[in-house]
Amino acid sequence: MNHNSEAFLSVRELNVVYTSGKKIVHAVNGVSFDMKRGETLALVGETGAGKTTIAKSILRILPDPPAILRGGAVFLEGEDLIKKSEKEMLKVRGKKVAMVFQDPMTALNPVMTVGDQIVEGLRLHNDYSKSMAREKAIEMLQMVGIHAQRFEEYPFQFSGGMKQRVIIAMALACNPELLLADEPTTALDVTIQAQVLDLINELKGKYRTSMILITHDLGVVAHTCSHVAVVYAGKIIEYGTREAVFVHPAHPYTLGLFASLPSMSQDCTRLKPIPGTMPDPTNLPQGCTFHPRCPYAIEACKNDEIPLLEIAPGHFCRCCNIEERPEKCL
Amino acid sequence: MSLIEVRNLKKYFSVPAGLNHAVDDVSFTIEKDETLGVVGESGCGKSTLGRVIIRLLDATDGQILLDGEDVTRVSGKKLKQVQRKAQIVFQDPYSSLNPRQRIEDTIREPLHNAGGYSGSEIKERASKLMDLVGIDARLRASYPHELDGGRRQRVGIARALALNPKFIVCDEPVSSLDVSIQAQVLNLLMDLQEQMGIAYMFITHNLSVARHISNHICVMYLGQMVEKSPTRELFTTSLHPYTKALLSAILTTDIYKPLQRVQLKGEITSAINPSPGCRFAPRCLYSTEACSQPQQLEEISKDHFVACCRVREINT
Repeated sequence: MNHNSEAFLSVRELNVVYTSGKKIVHAVNGVSFDMKRGETLALVGETGAGKTTIAKSILRILPDPPAILRGGAVFLEGEDLIKKSEKEMLKVRGKKVAMVFQDPMTALNPVMTVGDQIVEGLRLHNDYSKSMAREKAIEMLQMVGIHAQRFEEYPFQFSGGMKQRVIIAMALACNPELLLADEPTTALDVTIQAQVLDLINELKGKYRTSMILITHDLGVVAHTCSHVAVVYAGKIIEYGTREAVFVHPAHPYTLGLFASLPSMSQDCTRLKPIPGTMPDPTNLPQGCTFHPRCPYAIEACKNDEIPLLEIAPGHFCRCCNIEERPEKCL
Repeated sequence: MSLIEVRNLKKYFSVPAGLNHAVDDVSFTIEKDETLGVVGESGCGKSTLGRVIIRLLDATDGQILLDGEDVTRVSGKKLKQVQRKAQIVFQDPYSSLNPRQRIEDTIREPLHNAGGYSGSEIKERASKLMDLVGIDARLRASYPHELDGGRRQRVGIARALALNPKFIVCDEPVSSLDVSIQAQVLNLLMDLQEQMGIAYMFITHNLSVARHISNHICVMYLGQMVEKSPTRELFTTSLHPYTKALLSAILTTDIYKPLQRVQLKGEITSAINPSPGCRFAPRCLYSTEACSQPQQLEEISKDHFVACCRVREINT
């Protein structure tokens, strides 16, 4: 597959494994997607689906060993990040591509003031004097709603929501073109989650930053993203615009995810969970990796590698038994 | 007679900065077969409340009645009897199981501790329990690290069920689980309630889960109950400004439903040496002078209680 030269970000056939003793964990198995500038793509899936690994391989911050990149390419504005040297990558990380990590409690340096942590990135990537960087860092803090007085404070003096704001300020300080947000609100309470999501949306609009949002919360996706990729066992099994995936979900796994959620509008006595659990990533089933849990599986699902098929313009689904699925089983 | 009756329960923790009013004057009842959902943000005292009720923590003041009997200060043999009737399922299935104990032994332990069972009875009961919660018999001798989160939580539930309790405190039992597994565990809890008539106090910060499983919901803020209502009514006509904000922050999967979010100012503060007035007032859109006075819980309609002095003005 050739990469789409018009795309802002183009990930091609990414393969990542983790070694664990003699076992090989197949974390990412041939992931490809394109993003235009200004788009927000959600990577949705359950624990262990490989979402974070995808994001970390874009930034090339996977620990090696145990992680091994077995092939693939990541084109950012036409340049392959995988081929870049470590020294060149230092200029990309934090500058062109920034990441917001899941756990605000552990993502900050506990023995450095929050202000200095923002200044550090600013001075590394820009030709700023100390005082200029300080000014800019204060501006960033104020932008995320933190008072300038708190510049000299340490992370332990901040609450969870405030720490996440600091991390967002840090990620956005150098005006990155791509923001990788790994479950940015999962560790936060609902009212704080609302504040942080609004903040991300606002800043994204202001700076036209593209974003990959990693989450397992379909509610968050529904209100922040333009495109959705559903990830299962290291593969994208459905991809489309938010409207396509939320209104016409096609893959049985996507349907299962929606059906597992307690409804806010209807009263039902029993939820319809997806039977079974995620497959063992050291020993993935043959054919479609979802077939052991799939209510619509047929013989063909057990043997053949299922390609990602375009079922409607721009809406892709990795399922060979698409006719059998109910129109919408929500 | 209610299965659980809690009257003016208080739990204060002494901390360097003063007294943390973790649970402050909370009252409610739970009937047999019923589920009371307790919702609120982290630090609102919902877990402390659960632990005080099943006597893992001692109450500072107030009363807990189990089956009509005051169990607030019982000890020794009496306390053991209370703990047979009232059990808990913890939030984190990773840290609430002994990593060096086979899961079968984890499930057997309460039976050993309670005494009065023969070895073969314990064995039989343990395998029945595993069957009941849907754990394969072949996993009997496994250790917790060999199981995934959903199965571990099933072990936690089996352990809580071992002594046939009448009441179980479920402290965020599904919040660390993925949605498909979460649905499996919620179904299991509801099936068990139907079969055995157990009452639950279901602590969660996820309002759609609370709506699904609860008959009544109590909303807490900084140790106090601000609203309590039958579940359906809470979601149609919430009255307290905090409840309204919480409900408005729920992100549904309906992409066409516009968000009408009530933006709250600031963040949850702390319940250390709180002022006597409404604890939500500093973040409330409607706060006035009157909010600095202590708030009374008032029954606005049948079974629907609200602690807000401006409840009538802001809901007209």
